[in-house]
Amino acid sequence: MRRLFNMPPQILRLFLLLVGIVSSYGVARYFLTPPTFGEYGWYRGVALAELRARPLVFAGRKACEECHSDEATKLAKFAHKNVSCEACHGPRHEHAQDPDIKTQVVSFSHCLRCHEANPSRPKMHKQIVSKTHYSGSKCIECHVPHAPSEVP
Amino acid sequence: MPAEITNLVATVTNVMVEAVPHFEGYAYPNEATAGPLWGVLIVVYPYITGLVAGAFIMASLVRVFKVKALEPVYRLSLLTALAFLLCAPLPLLFHLGHPERCYEVMMTPHLTSPMAIFGFVYAWYLMAVLLLELWFDYRQDFVEWSKTESGFQGILYRAFMLGVTDESEKAVRLDMKVGWIISIIGIPSAFLLHGYVGFIFGSIKANPWWGNVLMPIIFIMSAMVSGIALCVFNYMVLSWVRRRAIDMRCLDMMTMFLFYALVIDAAIEGLDWIHRVYSAEEGFQVMQWMAREKLFYTLNLGQATMGTLVPLLLLGSLQLVRKKVPELARRRMYFASAVLILVGVFAMRWNVVIGGQLFSKSLRGVLSYKMELAGMEGWLMAGFLIVLPFIILTVFVKLFLSERLPTSGHLPHEDTGSSLPSGFIAPARDI
Amino acid sequence: MKTKVSRRSVLGRIGAVLAGVLSAPAAKAAKTTVQKLLVSTGASKDYDPTKHQWQMAIDINKCIGCGLCAEACKTENHVPEGPYYRTWIERYIIRKPQAGAVESRGDVLVDSPEGGMHGFSDCPVPKEEILHSFFVPKLCNLCAHSPCAQVCPVGATFDTPDGAVLVDPKYCIGCGFCIQACPYGCRFLSPLTHTAEKCTLCYHRVTRGLMPACVEVCPTQARIFGDLKNPLPDDPLQKFFQNNRVQNLKPHLGTDPRVVYAGMDKEVR
Repeated sequence: MRRLFNMPPQILRLFLLLVGIVSSYGVARYFLTPPTFGEYGWYRGVALAELRARPLVFAGRKACEECHSDEATKLAKFAHKNVSCEACHGPRHEHAQDPDIKTQVVSFSHCLRCHEANPSRPKMHKQIVSKTHYSGSKCIECHVPHAPSEVP
Repeated sequence: MPAEITNLVATVTNVMVEAVPHFEGYAYPNEATAGPLWGVLIVVYPYITGLVAGAFIMASLVRVFKVKALEPVYRLSLLTALAFLLCAPLPLLFHLGHPERCYEVMMTPHLTSPMAIFGFVYAWYLMAVLLLELWFDYRQDFVEWSKTESGFQGILYRAFMLGVTDESEKAVRLDMKVGWIISIIGIPSAFLLHGYVGFIFGSIKANPWWGNVLMPIIFIMSAMVSGIALCVFNYMVLSWVRRRAIDMRCLDMMTMFLFYALVIDAAIEGLDWIHRVYSAEEGFQVMQWMAREKLFYTLNLGQATMGTLVPLLLLGSLQLVRKKVPELARRRMYFASAVLILVGVFAMRWNVVIGGQLFSKSLRGVLSYKMELAGMEGWLMAGFLIVLPFIILTVFVKLFLSERLPTSGHLPHEDTGSSLPSGFIAPARDI
Repeated sequence: MKTKVSRRSVLGRIGAVLAGVLSAPAAKAAKTTVQKLLVSTGASKDYDPTKHQWQMAIDINKCIGCGLCAEACKTENHVPEGPYYRTWIERYIIRKPQAGAVESRGDVLVDSPEGGMHGFSDCPVPKEEILHSFFVPKLCNLCAHSPCAQVCPVGATFDTPDGAVLVDPKYCIGCGFCIQACPYGCRFLSPLTHTAEKCTLCYHRVTRGLMPACVEVCPTQARIFGDLKNPLPDDPLQKFFQNNRVQNLKPHLGTDPRVVYAGMDKEVR
């Protein structure tokens, strides 16, 4: 202790300044480091929970099948069995939460999004050229979307 | 001056950029934004930091390497370094999406990130190197000045004394000794400060224009070049403002160091280019495409010709026939070289930072950006950030290099602390 | 004199200890108040990230370029309008070699109009001139050695224990370093939040037992998703790995992506 005060005055001042700076950094760090920081790694652990808490927009196939089981069983027999409901009908989480919220009708130009002929598409995928394939008629006049190989 | 040049460059690049479509070839959809993610502020940032490191190296030539001829610019170089260092974090801060969260870099620094180290390297360099060296150098003067000065300046000097009034020979000798030690620590610190800026770019392996082991070394060398050029510029301007005769011995010596630094810098940058062209790795073609079209003016004209070749010729020829060239012509050539180098190094920073964002990381296309004049990433802001350190430096010069105030006799290159009657700031000759 | 000093120092020490003991709870209380201002925690803790390992695989041979995935991603995650995509589709068109030219393949044309989210209606090259053409869905590669998380200065982007690479929007300072470091162009700076954004692997969906939005709407199962730690009885991901040889994007960068591709071409990067 004695020797500390026998330091040359300029060194002593700087030493005190250093102690002040380092300790204020320590105090600032104590207060400003978020509480869950380092829970899993170098980040706020609670960020995971916050990101999980975001609301859904797409309900997921299971939610649809809870009510529309008849459609689901029908769909499962045909080529569109692996196409999820919301791929065509759009995001329906709101409707799944509250069935009173009515859903929009699917526009049938939607069919062409997958089935219009395109040289970049895999060859085994079924495609038509809409200009020459019964142009003027709607797809559903001949095809049932839930049962593509059936005729209405 | 640099601000006007910046604006000129802006006009040139804007004309170029507007003439071509937004992007050619293919760019990832996220890359096709209106402006580069890192705009002109991030060009200014390594530019200013480089000037700091270079100016400090300039000062340490006097203190550590005992180059007596450079004494007249010792304090000016240190004050230059300080003025620019105080402005160095501003462009970084302004470009952040959330500047109010900047404290997180100090609170939870992610140690694998070169950017996280910024806070510590900066704090170390500011407080442990520059301010300390200045304080030990000025302490004795503060004590003297506080006795004679009153008013705001007097209060300032008294505050800077930090309550230490010891002026004994022993204390002054200690000041000199510590200052010398700090200066020695300062040299690697200056390299660290700017080398890490180079590493920020050099460590990005995703970007073949940046990811390069030579990048930190190129940044250090160009920093030294630009810093010495800035000291030449400042010294000549200050002499002109104060109507003082320039110490030609000092100026010749400074420009000699400038020349040698420039030779090394040009050699390393040349080596980098040879390596790139020879190895011609993935992405070389798209970078060639970009360098030919998007960076033509700033790279070939700005960086290579005006910033390197012309000053090399000017300074090199003066090394050979210095004695035969009249003083006035020599001064003009020195001044022209310094200004050209300052512009050239700015062009180099531009080419690195903006160039690295002018091609798609899909390596299939080049992008175009239009810089705005106003706004956060605009040219006015960049000009302001380059002028600001000069304003701060003017204040520093008024406060700490005043011609009215006598200076203590100690010489920065003598750590023995002998008390000569008139020091390196003799009003007749020096500033 | 001596005793006086020692007595004073002893008293001083006792005082310091007392002050320390008294101030510790006060400091803790102060800390919690400060931190309450900084963070608000409202989310439940019913999910253990260490018990899952999510993975995504892409079968290029199955992608028909309908763009439903890119569109669904924008909707599900409220991705800002404009050139901001968490997932997108690229179209590769490799021309036939020009007449007389001795080369195996012709020029390569790549495009992704609006990230492919409205599909690819017209083909810029006549069908007869095309040697090969295919679609490649892109998303965050979920690198095991993620360069983006490495360079984040504050720990606002990170690898989670369950295999996602996420951004903490409340902690990101918006420096853009991660965006520069991503070799795949998967990140962007949101013009709305001014923070970095990227594919979260639909973290809010997968942790509730749902598929990511892009996988949910993909009509051809070109995107395959699963949990390596909890495989399903007839797991599509396991099947994918049994049936395909897989490749990564830009493997020379050593990022070791966990997103793997089947049916890749050398032009894809």
